[in-house]
Amino acid sequence: MLPHWLRKHIPGQLPPEGRWRHMAEPYEGDEIVVLDCETSIFDKKKGELLSVAAVRVRGNEILLADALDLTIRSDAVTDPNAVRVHYLRREDRLNGVSLAEAIEKLLDFIGNRPICGFYIEYDRAILNRYIRQLHNFQLPNQFIEVSEIYVRKKRRLYPDLPLKLTFEALATDLNVPIIERHTAIGDVISTALMHIKLTRF
Amino acid sequence: MTLQINLHQPPFSFLSEDQLAWLTQRLDLVFFPAGAVILRKGQSAPGVYIIYKGVVEETDETGEHVFTQYGKEDIFDVRAVLESGCKHQYRALEETLCYLLKAKDFIELLNESRDLSIFFNTDLGTQQSMVEQQDQSVSEFILSRVDDDVIRPAVYVSPQTNLSRVASLMFEKKHDALLVRDGERVGIVTGTDLLKSTLLGDKTKQTRVEDIAQFNLIHVNYGDFLFNALLKMTQHKIERVVVKRDGEIVGLLELMDMLSTFSTHSHIIAMRIEQAKSLKDLVSASRRLENLVATMNNQGVKMIALQELITTLNRRLIHRAFELIFPERLRRAVCILVLGSEGRGEQILKTDQDNAIILENEHDREAVLPLLQQLHQALLDFGYPPCPGGVMFINDSWIDTIDGWKARVRRWLDSGKPEAMMNMAIFMDAEPVCGSPHLFHPIKASWQLESLRASIVSARFAKPALQFETPLTILGNIREDHGKLDIKKGGIFPLVHGVRALAFEQAIDDCNTLERIDRLQEKGLVDAETAQGLKDALIFFWRIRLRQQLERGGDNPGLSQQLDVKLLRSVDRNMLRHALHRVKKFKQTLVSHFRLENF
Repeated sequence: MLPHWLRKHIPGQLPPEGRWRHMAEPYEGDEIVVLDCETSIFDKKKGELLSVAAVRVRGNEILLADALDLTIRSDAVTDPNAVRVHYLRREDRLNGVSLAEAIEKLLDFIGNRPICGFYIEYDRAILNRYIRQLHNFQLPNQFIEVSEIYVRKKRRLYPDLPLKLTFEALATDLNVPIIERHTAIGDVISTALMHIKLTRF
Repeated sequence: MTLQINLHQPPFSFLSEDQLAWLTQRLDLVFFPAGAVILRKGQSAPGVYIIYKGVVEETDETGEHVFTQYGKEDIFDVRAVLESGCKHQYRALEETLCYLLKAKDFIELLNESRDLSIFFNTDLGTQQSMVEQQDQSVSEFILSRVDDDVIRPAVYVSPQTNLSRVASLMFEKKHDALLVRDGERVGIVTGTDLLKSTLLGDKTKQTRVEDIAQFNLIHVNYGDFLFNALLKMTQHKIERVVVKRDGEIVGLLELMDMLSTFSTHSHIIAMRIEQAKSLKDLVSASRRLENLVATMNNQGVKMIALQELITTLNRRLIHRAFELIFPERLRRAVCILVLGSEGRGEQILKTDQDNAIILENEHDREAVLPLLQQLHQALLDFGYPPCPGGVMFINDSWIDTIDGWKARVRRWLDSGKPEAMMNMAIFMDAEPVCGSPHLFHPIKASWQLESLRASIVSARFAKPALQFETPLTILGNIREDHGKLDIKKGGIFPLVHGVRALAFEQAIDDCNTLERIDRLQEKGLVDAETAQGLKDALIFFWRIRLRQQLERGGDNPGLSQQLDVKLLRSVDRNMLRHALHRVKKFKQTLVSHFRLENF
């Protein structure tokens, strides 16, 4: 057990405690969680969380009925260009849940399942920033990057082919429908479909 | 999160908004690679699948015998959920995405919604009529029937009652019509009859009512659709009908009582046509006809009733124009025929003018020609586009005397050339609408011949029914061309012409395709099931064509025969597939009946 002051002064470098202790345990089940965050501006350090969606995937099934789709109550000033991207106006956001509540719900939802996404590094950084502030730890889960699996698979078949790694390019190449692009839940579903296709078909 | 499928169509449209919202929250999404078996025979299903993307094939357990295929928004396999297990095998033909409604949620919905549970526990026929009924629910009037709410009890008088007493009874009971019972006979006397006979005629207060009562009563049956009553009043130009129940008179149905609940104004249009003083009045009445079609279609009026009403009104329109243009003497010396779909009474949106004229005397030709030009112009003004093939009474080849027409028919039949056969087909659907219908009878008799049975002429006549391929793939699915399908070539024409060919061979008098099918059934040429199937298919084609024509709008929407398959609801797509299969089967029947394989 490390002293209290150490825990306080090296924030987020330690495993979760208490309510979320189980998150650090190795995962035995057959599910993953696909998630996506929409932020006010595209910046790991300054971007404020506006909405987050997550869905559990078991085999080829996306458990949509139990999906998490949260809009955060925030009055962050958004880049007008970003509004065009995620369509979350200030008015929409005022009806959301509080940030702390959203993070708690999300952590409960994820548990110790592996987390998967498209450019998941960004979502990881955003979420860890908040989780560190609120609960003093970082997500200990295994992370799966969909585009990485894609590159690995493609390279095996065509080592020299130049690859376009945008979300749209992957969806098109994998022939997966793009559903309500730039809504968190829509991107999550498309990403989940990409993952199913890359790992199971 | 909105769903990528439309749940506002049967069967889910039977649900309330709350139930739909609940359902939307209960759906999972499942992704199958091409070739994956989704359900095996005997397996119990985790729930019902609703296809979002892809194609699923239902086969027997070996996968060799294909029963059917499912596409976007189709649902499978309800039986596997409701019964012990899956009877067939379901396999994804291509990568397929399905929404999955878990079995327990589906069953909960069935318990919540009576309509949904009836839909899923019944056979296809009941499902179709439920869909039709739901389409109709918009219009209360159309669903209203002749019952105690709308009829007035009848007040009877004896034939000896004098007119003075009749008048005071009408006033007392606030009835505009009384019934006169004379033993077995029942007649009617109205306020208008009283006025006409006394003030305008020579009858007095003491005259017995039997002298002026009318004993040829028009009746409807208790429980009939109000709409049919309206149709009868329009046809007979009367304002009330007697209502009978089990053959007994139970009351009167008054137009005024009915109009107070009726909003489509079809009767008002009929009145305007009848009272038109000029062609200009008629043009404005004809414009209202188009709105009427749209309104009635939205209200879900049954296809047959709609056709009947529009045909009645269209013919009245032409007839009134004819009366305005032709002087009395010439009116009796000619007979104007409408041909093609108008003759069959199957035109709802105006397609084109197909018409011809019979002259009683050749020497009237000079006098009639300019009048025909005027009538033709009037029809153009009413919105009938000219016939591209020139089948119009303004062209020499469609004007002739009785003998001239008989000779023409003989030439057509003898020549056997495709154009001649097509002319015969158009002319065969002729219906006299203005002038003296008796001029037409001897001409019609000239092709209703015993010798046509099993003749080469009949076979040549029937041949064009096969000229277009049925738009079905080898696997039995709808074959579309960039999402479009020509419903006339693919479905309507082969049915209409095939039936016409059989009617031609059998010398059947009727022109309407549905009636011709009934006659063919009576003669034993088709069995009851086939007859019903052909009628269902044809009515269905008409219905979806009309719906899309109205949605598309623009000038002359009636000219478009292209069906946008993507716009069809999945139930309709399913029915379309069944209907096209019936067409295909019917064509095979024609081939063997007319021995067309050697042509």
